[in-house]
Amino acid sequence: MGDPPLCSVFEVTPFRRWCVVALGTLLLIGVPIGLRALPAAESDVSASALLERVRASQDAGWSGYVETEGTLQLPDADQFSDVGALFGEGTVLRAWWRDADHWRVDQLLLTGERDLIHDGGRTTAWDYERAEATVSRDPDIRLPRSADLVPPELARRFLDGVGDGDVSRLDARRVAGVSAPGLRIVPSSELSSIDHVDLWADPDTGVPLRVEVYAGSGKPAFTSTFEEFDGARPPAADVDFTATPSSDVEYDDVLDIADAANQYAPVRPPRTVAGLAKSESSDRAVGVYGEGLTQVIAIPLRDREADALRDQLAVTPGVERTDGTEDGPGRTLVTVGPLGVVLTGTEGEGGWLLAGTLNRDGLVRAADDVVRGFRYVGRG
Amino acid sequence: MTGALIRVELSKLVRSRRTWVTIALIDALPTLVALLLAWTDLGPRPGTGPAFLSAVLTDGTLFPLAALAIVLPLFLPIAVAITAGEAIAGEAQQGTLRYLLVRPVGRTRLLVAKLVAVMAFVVLTVLVVAVTAYVLGVLLLGNETVTATGPATSVSGSSMSTAELLGRTGLALGYAMLCMLCVAAIALFFSTVADSPLGAALGTLAILVASTLLITLDAANAVQPYLPTRYWLAFVDLFRDPILWRDVVRGVVLQGVYVVVFLGAGWANFTTKDVTD
Repeated sequence: MGDPPLCSVFEVTPFRRWCVVALGTLLLIGVPIGLRALPAAESDVSASALLERVRASQDAGWSGYVETEGTLQLPDADQFSDVGALFGEGTVLRAWWRDADHWRVDQLLLTGERDLIHDGGRTTAWDYERAEATVSRDPDIRLPRSADLVPPELARRFLDGVGDGDVSRLDARRVAGVSAPGLRIVPSSELSSIDHVDLWADPDTGVPLRVEVYAGSGKPAFTSTFEEFDGARPPAADVDFTATPSSDVEYDDVLDIADAANQYAPVRPPRTVAGLAKSESSDRAVGVYGEGLTQVIAIPLRDREADALRDQLAVTPGVERTDGTEDGPGRTLVTVGPLGVVLTGTEGEGGWLLAGTLNRDGLVRAADDVVRGFRYVGRG
Repeated sequence: MTGALIRVELSKLVRSRRTWVTIALIDALPTLVALLLAWTDLGPRPGTGPAFLSAVLTDGTLFPLAALAIVLPLFLPIAVAITAGEAIAGEAQQGTLRYLLVRPVGRTRLLVAKLVAVMAFVVLTVLVVAVTAYVLGVLLLGNETVTATGPATSVSGSSMSTAELLGRTGLALGYAMLCMLCVAAIALFFSTVADSPLGAALGTLAILVASTLLITLDAANAVQPYLPTRYWLAFVDLFRDPILWRDVVRGVVLQGVYVVVFLGAGWANFTTKDVTD
């Protein structure tokens, strides 16, 4: 009596065939979903200790793959279209950060790449589709750019002036495969339009891995998160850039409209607006006021730039237009999530553009203060 | 036995006039684009055209990649869906499937032979498109000095040696072929289910169109990583510096899962099906 042949024991019936296919499909789909759903390991670090650890990480080196998601539909004005895209759309970034002076942030596009390579006081902007590298010095004042949106940079800006009393702990969360303890920051100033900012940090290095900005209690208005993270300092070769012979290399004295206004506009904004002090770095035509979660920038615009922007603001949903009176200057005001934008003056007058994380009343106060308090200076 | 069957299927493929007409039609689009670019010297505005199309005005050796980006989203999958959709359903519609299975070839072997033939079609098409594009690129496009002397410029702005460019181009072509294997697996499954080749091709295209549509929809973010066309254009990442493997690897794994699942379902269905045609 021998054993029965294998084929008679495991007879391949139609039912079994379909079972094999169904089981294989379930395994292939279920395993990765199951791995993703693994809960994060909790941490007992206190809020103030975590805040300290995050602050201490500002000199840390790291590299990673970052995705940002913005819901702020800003007016599509020419000079500000890049800023609008950064805060209103999804952005995919790959970054290598040796220190604050040596880094590279690549904005990945389906059709190419737009990179920023920072070396000391100089930044090279590479655009693949234009085959063009533009070198510029680092201005005192500039508009936001892709490198400002990586979680560590975003957190660094938000944490300015934040004290232990403004933070509380959040449950840990898995970010880029790391069980990251969370921190909630609530602005202490009543002027801030930000309801709160949540961040989760790498427990080993303290580098922020995910930042969420909330205007209210609903979904975040802006999110920046690492999808892949390496806490080791990247080698110098990763942040190096040498243009190829077929690429155009240009040198720009003026980076953007904020830099241009700051260098050449013959005006000086007041020292304080809406009770917020001007930062030390803004000692020319553009003023940056406040810190952390309560900040506003004031940029003087010439009439043709102001008119184009005013036209765009005018067609933005929720716009608030006021003609000038004895009580205050004319203005066009728009709030988009936590971001408020106001342009003073009327057509043909030029005006001051104020943008920042101030609530409506704070923004109006700041605009009135700028218009009343600025002064003209001789061109120097 | 399987080898003989594969030889028969390959022979049918190569001798079919339709095969070459289809390949010529697919090749016609990038050829037309090359001629228009050479004539007008006008590239797409940044962010608007297929990947690499703006770069070929500087370096013609990149045109095979631009050609791939042109045919991969639509032309190539349609051709593969039609070819693979006909594999079983076409035989059934012509009434030849029953006679094929009367011979002791086994249904699994027949399915494998059909798949190999479809993949041979994919490989042939991709290579014809790439070679034509390379010749056109070198002859008509780009700055002659840059094209002749190199080095090429990577998407990240660094230099790429000729060997690197060739290696990465080979990887990109292989990746595109894998993506088309996924289309072939889906179409082959539908070919075992549908009564007509048209039904099988349309079923496949419905999945691909739905996938492409959902990729553009923010509300579908949660399902996007699992859509079959999600990572098709990730071959661009092979030309970044350093190579960004993230989406390429995900693409390979995802295409692999679709191939395994749909080939498995096609096999289970075909080997248990009552064949009367």
